[in-house]
Amino acid sequence: MISVQTPISEQTIDSLKVGDPIFINGYIYTGRDAALPKVVKLIEDDKIEQSDIHLRGSAIFHTAISAAGIGPTSSNKYDIESNIPILSEHGVKIHLGKGELSKETVEALKKNNSVYAVVAPVTALLQSTVIEKELVAFPEDGIEAFHRIKVKNFPAIVSIAHGRTIHDEE
Amino acid sequence: MMRNKDEVIEKVSNTVIEAALTFKEEQKRTYRKAIDKEKLSRAKLIMENTLKNEEEARRSQITLCDDTGIPHLLLEIGKKDVLTGEMMDWIHEGVAEGLRKLPGRPMAVKGNDIERLEQSQGMSDDPGALVSAPLIVKRVDTPGVRLHILLQGGGPEIRSRTYRIFHKHKVSAIVDEIVRWAKEEVAQLGCTPCVPSIGIGRTHFEATSMMIEAMVHGKFDVQSDIEKEITSRINESNVGPLGLKGDTTALATFLKVGPQRASGVRIVCLRLSCNIEPRVNSVYL
Repeated sequence: MISVQTPISEQTIDSLKVGDPIFINGYIYTGRDAALPKVVKLIEDDKIEQSDIHLRGSAIFHTAISAAGIGPTSSNKYDIESNIPILSEHGVKIHLGKGELSKETVEALKKNNSVYAVVAPVTALLQSTVIEKELVAFPEDGIEAFHRIKVKNFPAIVSIAHGRTIHDEE
Repeated sequence: MMRNKDEVIEKVSNTVIEAALTFKEEQKRTYRKAIDKEKLSRAKLIMENTLKNEEEARRSQITLCDDTGIPHLLLEIGKKDVLTGEMMDWIHEGVAEGLRKLPGRPMAVKGNDIERLEQSQGMSDDPGALVSAPLIVKRVDTPGVRLHILLQGGGPEIRSRTYRIFHKHKVSAIVDEIVRWAKEEVAQLGCTPCVPSIGIGRTHFEATSMMIEAMVHGKFDVQSDIEKEITSRINESNVGPLGLKGDTTALATFLKVGPQRASGVRIVCLRLSCNIEPRVNSVYL
């Protein structure tokens, strides 16, 4: 297991390869179908710097936040995957979710030195990795609002890195 | 038989909770067999963690998956038994109570038709506000009123389809097409190994209804030849657990064949149920 501390450096990403199991420590943003397009809108409107969202060196987990816990949603849904390139361009280093992504997204991740890691849908086990959670933006979206969670040894497996996918793994 | 409102609500509530927290023993046995057979150590580990997650869910009463799903209800009624409108209300109250106690994910989308479609008014804070899918009622030979509750997650719904197959009067043509559909979708599901759940009928409604029955009554360790073939052919894809390669892409297949139309067409509903499904539990009311 490779320990990854947030904020995540370029060197850390350089060292990761497809198939690596990682443990993330520090802070992770959470957002999915409703919130991610709104984060991108803040970027496009030049308002992200004034917000409480700091994307440089960050990780975003595609999950809802509710009393039922956390768990990955499908990252290949339009509202999520279509925003991965611009979020990577603005500093998101690790996108956390589930499901295969397109070749275009693989290329966008490579271009921005970002990676995609899958999280097992093990809500009961993930619960103990979350130390605290905080609402950051878009409370009107309820369980889909943008949150920041503090995690300890949050597990994931790198499945896209440096233009390679799990299918290229020997 | 007169039924007590509070008793019905409590039974239904408990049934929802158990469906969200536990695997069936046969499901766990099937996982253990798959772990033993799996050659890739990473794939073994992922499936072992799926079983550990179930143990933890059972112990801590935290759900198997945060997507606690849309409740689907199948009621089976014996010859002499009676279902009243009042009982249906109690059943829905029991589902709501179960979702509140879990707690389920509060994901009832608010608003009028357009607002719900656009999700512009957000969601209710009440997990119990989630409306169940339309109730299916069947007459069975076994006496009693038996309720089956399925909790259907969102990921599998994205990877499902109900469509026609020109069967050419051969089962093999239908199986080939089902396998082709499954292979097109399964890598994008993420939550593998999947459990392909299939209904075949005369109409889209009937095929979907058969799929629900397949999920309710399917047995992991009692598989027909067709079910075994579908599982085995999907496993040739090497998508593996979590889409990270391996021999176990499908754990088992549940297939229910309904009445068929005099035609060269069969309507097939394929749902790629995920690695913790079917979340199903049953109770006599």
